[in-house]
Amino acid sequence: MDPRAWRRFRKNKGALFGGVLVLFVTLTAMFGPLLAPHDPNEQFRDTLIADDGTLAGIGQIAGHLLGADGIGRDHLSRLLHGGSISMLVAYFATALAIAIGTFAGITAGYFGGFVDTLWMRGVDLLLSLPFLLVAIALVRVIDDPALWVLVLMMALLSWTTLARVTRAKTMQVRELEFIQAARALGMSHTRILFRHVLPNVLGPIIVLGTTLVARMILFESALSFLGLGVQPPQASWGSMLQEGQALLDATPRLMLLPAALITMTVFGFNLLGEGLRDAFDPKD
Amino acid sequence: MDRRMERLGCAALALLGAAGSIAFAFFLPDPPEAPRWMGAGAQTPQVGGTFVFHHEANVRSLDPHVAYDELSGMAIRLMFDGLLDYDHESNLVPSLAEAMPTVSEDGRTFRFRLRRGVRFHAMAGHAEGRELVAEDVRWSLLRLMSQDVGSPGYPFYASIEGADAYHEGNADDVAGIRVVDRYTIELQLKEADQTFLNAMAMPFAYPVPRENYEHWGDEVKFHPVGTGPFVFEAWERGVQLTFVRNERYWRDKPGPERMLYLENIGRELAAQRFRNGDIDSIHRQSPSDYRFFKTSEAWRPYMVEEPRGSTYGLGFNCEMAPFDDVHVRRAIAFALDREGWSRARAGRLLPASQLLPPSIPGYDPELPTRQVFDLERAREEMRLAGHPNGLPEPITVWITGQDDTSRQYGELLQSDLARIGIDVRLRFVSFAVYLTESGKPNTVPAFFTGWNLDFPDPSNFLFLFDQKSIHPEHSENRAFYRNPEVDRLLAEGKSERDRERRLGLYRQANEIVARDAPWAFLYYTLTMELWQPHVRNYDPHPVWSEDYREVWLDLPRERVARSLAGVGGPVPARFYPMGALR
Repeated sequence: MDPRAWRRFRKNKGALFGGVLVLFVTLTAMFGPLLAPHDPNEQFRDTLIADDGTLAGIGQIAGHLLGADGIGRDHLSRLLHGGSISMLVAYFATALAIAIGTFAGITAGYFGGFVDTLWMRGVDLLLSLPFLLVAIALVRVIDDPALWVLVLMMALLSWTTLARVTRAKTMQVRELEFIQAARALGMSHTRILFRHVLPNVLGPIIVLGTTLVARMILFESALSFLGLGVQPPQASWGSMLQEGQALLDATPRLMLLPAALITMTVFGFNLLGEGLRDAFDPKD
Repeated sequence: MDRRMERLGCAALALLGAAGSIAFAFFLPDPPEAPRWMGAGAQTPQVGGTFVFHHEANVRSLDPHVAYDELSGMAIRLMFDGLLDYDHESNLVPSLAEAMPTVSEDGRTFRFRLRRGVRFHAMAGHAEGRELVAEDVRWSLLRLMSQDVGSPGYPFYASIEGADAYHEGNADDVAGIRVVDRYTIELQLKEADQTFLNAMAMPFAYPVPRENYEHWGDEVKFHPVGTGPFVFEAWERGVQLTFVRNERYWRDKPGPERMLYLENIGRELAAQRFRNGDIDSIHRQSPSDYRFFKTSEAWRPYMVEEPRGSTYGLGFNCEMAPFDDVHVRRAIAFALDREGWSRARAGRLLPASQLLPPSIPGYDPELPTRQVFDLERAREEMRLAGHPNGLPEPITVWITGQDDTSRQYGELLQSDLARIGIDVRLRFVSFAVYLTESGKPNTVPAFFTGWNLDFPDPSNFLFLFDQKSIHPEHSENRAFYRNPEVDRLLAEGKSERDRERRLGLYRQANEIVARDAPWAFLYYTLTMELWQPHVRNYDPHPVWSEDYREVWLDLPRERVARSLAGVGGPVPARFYPMGALR
């Protein structure tokens, strides 16, 4: 990788800020569940109405730092566990999308011809489908989607841009002398692809991958908000948005906190992605 | 540099947008805390004014033979009368009938005498209306039973002698319906059936004038003509319906000059408008509105909260594993912390222990087999079922709707059943899918379900567990519960004429059903209804939901003008002649 890139990146304050945000959210997602004060699904129902029948205001429950939701579950614990699920889904789906997209991109760009046509028509096909609608239809068809189904589906719908960019970059790289040299030396295609092409197209992949995480978070939130993503009682930020909306005017915090976290995380990833792009691509 | 400015600009815009929406959410003026308009202080019923009410969805039909939903019912009851009606204690009382019908010795023949001088509203060919006669009752029943009309109410009248032959098109007439003279009609049943009088009080049996149906044909559902306290005026489909006072009404004349029924007003919006004084009565509330009204001192005098004739529960398909084992069903019934559910719903659920709700005769608070939350007994039942450590496989429970409420119910269930080692998977489906699929055998293992009464009689609940209610499709017995003892009790109850003995039979059936737990009974809903201080004489009816026939308005008149100007945008002049605005 270009050593000048890191120097450029370090000078970009926005990108650094994004990086810190991303690091923070990722660490929280990894260790949050350990910090959660309660089981995220434990319902403290007794606290919702006092024995004399007076209603506790939603969320006004003693002993819970951020209060509790409508059915008495500790809000902080759900935010921490929910973040963990949201990030897990986003990272895995992105990783998978990167794997598919990169493989498609470099093979299409390197071999051209039939392989190229095959991949690129696949991309055209996927791009012509309305993203969210297809996801909704798929989730409806698959009865009771498990988490990995969700990840798989999100990845399968999201690798297209990556494939296109990688392909274009690969086509440039393919014509360079050192590839010609490698080929002349009799290196196998696999070796050329992974030892020589891949390192040279890594820059855009990292950049796109970073912004893809942000998109995946939004995607998962949207699906869960519609009740199609993470299944109850599991929490994710998106499903917490859904649960909180009915109580929005009574207890805005139930919806605003997960919303703020989603916004912050997406913002962080986008800043980071932008910074990375500037770092890798100084022409501008 | 340009790029930097651009980015700054974007960030500034985004910030502005976010701040704007937050300000929008938090700093909009709230509607008033207390009622906005008080009555003028009249003590006797007043005539005049417009009463404004609403529902959340579309009214589909104003033809009483076809409509079978709460929304249409609210409109239909304003315009029509039945031979029989219910008083506020759920007793059957004569309405268009002069008195309760005379019943023959064998309990099969009912003779109704009509009140004289009752007139239909004005209609094509009868500008002054026309007198209601026995032939109208006959013609209406015949239309209701004909296959072409496809009335969902037909089964309630299938017990009339000769009904099936006519329904299937094998006869031109129904043998059991006989017009004796101009004001007398006699109905004969195949066998004694005590619930037939309840059927005669249902909107399906409201008499309608033949001329109107012949004049309008299929369009008649937009041009209703009845004998009721209000006359249909106009229907702007999907927006609103208006009714005007029937000046010739045969009973106490109604109060409001006009009734305005707004369609498609969601509950949150309705609550806002209600608090602003633009809607006169509301009957459904979002959780936060419910909390507001529940804790409001100012609204307390204008509110009731009562259980209605409906029971909700978790239904099991008794033919599908693991619910074919009565102990598994009972274990679940004992594991549900109904009190806790109610707390999670801000106290708006009344925990249910049995099928019959408290307002229905036969309900027994001390029922020996009542279902209560008792974790010890639940675990004991799991042991008896051979699963002391819980079920090896998760169970799938169907739940209708995809909103936060249905999700909450699902999560409450998951949490309760986890305690006895049952893992619950939720399957969210639409109401239509639930209705079709759960009526088929061996299809839906477990499901959230409920029943809302057609008429206030225990038989109307218990038939849900009768083997006769099992069909290849559209079974009402969605639990596919088969118990010959229950079937026998229900059959006997149907023909038993002694009220006490009859109730005794239903009590026994109720007890068996609670014991065998084809449903784990969850709750009876509490309905909170609110009305404006100037709305008088509104007493929520135990059988009819939102029955506004008897209200009158103690009007602060300025309210009328204001609310009309605010309702549904500009007011079409034809709906509100200037006289009504004074």
